[in-house]
Amino acid sequence: MRVRIGRLLAAFFFLLAPPIAHSETSAKAEPCFACHGPNGNSAVPQFPSLAGQTARYIYLQLRDFQEGRRNDPVMQPLAKALSRDDMLELAAFFAAQKLQPNSFKADPERAARGKAKADETLCTMCHLGNFAGQNEIPRVAGQQYDYVVKQLRDFKSRTRTNDAGNMTSVARTLSDRDIEDLAHYTASLF
Amino acid sequence: MNRNALALASMTLLFFTAVQTRAQETGKAATTGSAVPKQVNVSQEQLVKAGGDTRNWLHTQGNYAQTRYYPGGQINASNVAKLHPAFVFQTEVVESMETAPIVVDGVMYLTTSYNHVYAIDAATGKEYWHYKHRMGPITTFCCGPNNRGVAVSGGKLFMGTLDAKLVALDALTGKQLWETQIADPEKGYSETMAPTVVENKVLIGTNGGEYGIRGFLKAYDANSGQLLWTFYTIPETGHEGVWAENDATGRNMHRDIAKEKGAFAESKGAFYDKLGGGVWMNPAIDLKERTAWFVVGNPSPDLYGDIRPGDNLYTDSIVAVNLDTGAYKCHFQYIAHDVWDLDAVSPVILATAKGKNGKNIPVAMHGGKTGHVYIHDRRDCSLVRYSEAMIPQENMWVLPTADGARMLPGANGGVEWSPMSFDAKSRLAIALNLHQPMTYHVEQVNYPGGKLWLGGAFKVIPSEKQWGRVAAVNVDTGKVAWKYDTEQPLIGGGLATAGGLYFFGEGNGNFNALDSRSGKKLWSFNCGAGANAQPVSYQVRGKQYIAMGCGGNTQLDFKRGNSLFVFSLTD
Repeated sequence: MRVRIGRLLAAFFFLLAPPIAHSETSAKAEPCFACHGPNGNSAVPQFPSLAGQTARYIYLQLRDFQEGRRNDPVMQPLAKALSRDDMLELAAFFAAQKLQPNSFKADPERAARGKAKADETLCTMCHLGNFAGQNEIPRVAGQQYDYVVKQLRDFKSRTRTNDAGNMTSVARTLSDRDIEDLAHYTASLF
Repeated sequence: MNRNALALASMTLLFFTAVQTRAQETGKAATTGSAVPKQVNVSQEQLVKAGGDTRNWLHTQGNYAQTRYYPGGQINASNVAKLHPAFVFQTEVVESMETAPIVVDGVMYLTTSYNHVYAIDAATGKEYWHYKHRMGPITTFCCGPNNRGVAVSGGKLFMGTLDAKLVALDALTGKQLWETQIADPEKGYSETMAPTVVENKVLIGTNGGEYGIRGFLKAYDANSGQLLWTFYTIPETGHEGVWAENDATGRNMHRDIAKEKGAFAESKGAFYDKLGGGVWMNPAIDLKERTAWFVVGNPSPDLYGDIRPGDNLYTDSIVAVNLDTGAYKCHFQYIAHDVWDLDAVSPVILATAKGKNGKNIPVAMHGGKTGHVYIHDRRDCSLVRYSEAMIPQENMWVLPTADGARMLPGANGGVEWSPMSFDAKSRLAIALNLHQPMTYHVEQVNYPGGKLWLGGAFKVIPSEKQWGRVAAVNVDTGKVAWKYDTEQPLIGGGLATAGGLYFFGEGNGNFNALDSRSGKKLWSFNCGAGANAQPVSYQVRGKQYIAMGCGGNTQLDFKRGNSLFVFSLTD
């Protein structure tokens, strides 16, 4: 854990440091790899994978962190140091990376219940089939289990409210078991 | 019905997503092809006299009064059965088509989704040039990447873009002459309307009522692109209005005025800069009185009203401003503190009609999402009369709830953006209506920073049938003279002609001609994709043509296509 915090702090200071000219966008993205994994493929359950995420979603989340509509003690200061062009570049970079399978072992029975709940809740009307995502609606397929559970709980408890009301409204109807089932299902999608 | 069952039984209209334009549409502005082989120069006099011009179609809505009435009658009730396609022009963009082509001396200018413009021969379909707008990296719009056309003046064309710019093109070559940023697309501003040009001023409003913008009508210099004036549809102070309890028709809107007044005192009305009020259809121009007339859209957020106490002026209103300065002249609000998105969109028509005392007066007319046609006295904006309801109304004005409250009409209307036509001889204003039963859901949500901000949801009720209705309203009496029902809700433009015809399209591809006095169907042709653009008519070498874009519609998800059909009589 100490190592991870050290890397986080390194990333933090890297971004606060005076701008360094980079010819490649990937150089700008490298500090993000500390938590979000190589090319945005997270190996840490609490941090989301960014690889293959929609560019529009990544950009809007960075902007919400920067402007205080989404709260996270690590991401907010990091986002504050980014310019609009930085955010657009990072978003485009991660959107273009290939998402690798995550290591979470989804329980097939729970994943099946999660799918039924997803069908009932009409998740794919916005997230599209197999939770592929579109524009400002994120891809959730193959996302980290712990991260998805936390986001749904945060929407339900309204500790995350930067969704313009869509997810807080949906999450109101989900039980804790529903949330876990859904996360089993989305983690199993690829 | 519990919430989950409701969700299962409903289809949300949350297709509204902020969309980042496809990568292939961004990049360098480009014009390909060759110059139009004749001079194009439209004088102000031509623009003023467009209402009597059978050769050209110079304004999106036909003329400054916006009657969408073609004064020629070569194609008429007796021969319309012989109407056949003269040519089909295919664009390279297969997506929602809402364009009203502009036709100048046998040259047609049409637009597509994503801001492409084509110049073609209006008699043969031969392509001259093709302009693609260089789209910025951020575009935010709710209901499709639409465009409703260009405006023309002198040798220039003007177009509003999805990334909230105004561009001027050389009508001869399609080369861009200038562009100016109207507002910040990041905050939800975008342009889909065609501008209106008058005396070298380009008038344009904005979309964004679903994103917490502050609406406006702006005027730009046609030669330089410089901003001349701005009328904000939300005044910095005074937007609380008169705390109206009833709508324009006298029905109580169930407002908790005391609670609103308390909330207003607390906020001091500081939310004016996110209160919405888009203007996204052409203003009508009264040159004699130096006045621009337009309607203003919904307050933001659409369904959650607690956060924006007051009447939310001038949302859901008809407004008149000074053409030279943009200064306020008068307004009339249809729905104060709207929480149903039943706003005012369909463009204003100027005409003469009977006043309350039976004498003819200058009037301004608007077809509302409520399903009424409203007739106003142009001298003070006051309401002279409203028509009987063109479509079913039920449970008005029940307040939205977390679990959803059913009310008719649904949030698309009544009359959506669809412009009406007006035939001064028959006294009929003809409107395209939707019937979409919906439930209205409210959700407390703060400003999300340029993301879609409905403050809830509108949900259609799958067990209830949807349909459309063409309704002809006598503007002197407010009575519905005839109705013509269709299988699907109607969205798009209509066209009345001196040939006694009314042309309109349906989502199933049918493009129809009705007898404009009786509503009897006389002719139909299926375009193969949704006929949801705006029909126009013109003549080339003495022959009358009717043009209609058939590219479907994003908002109602009608089948997409990329074709403009042009019809003429078989010889």
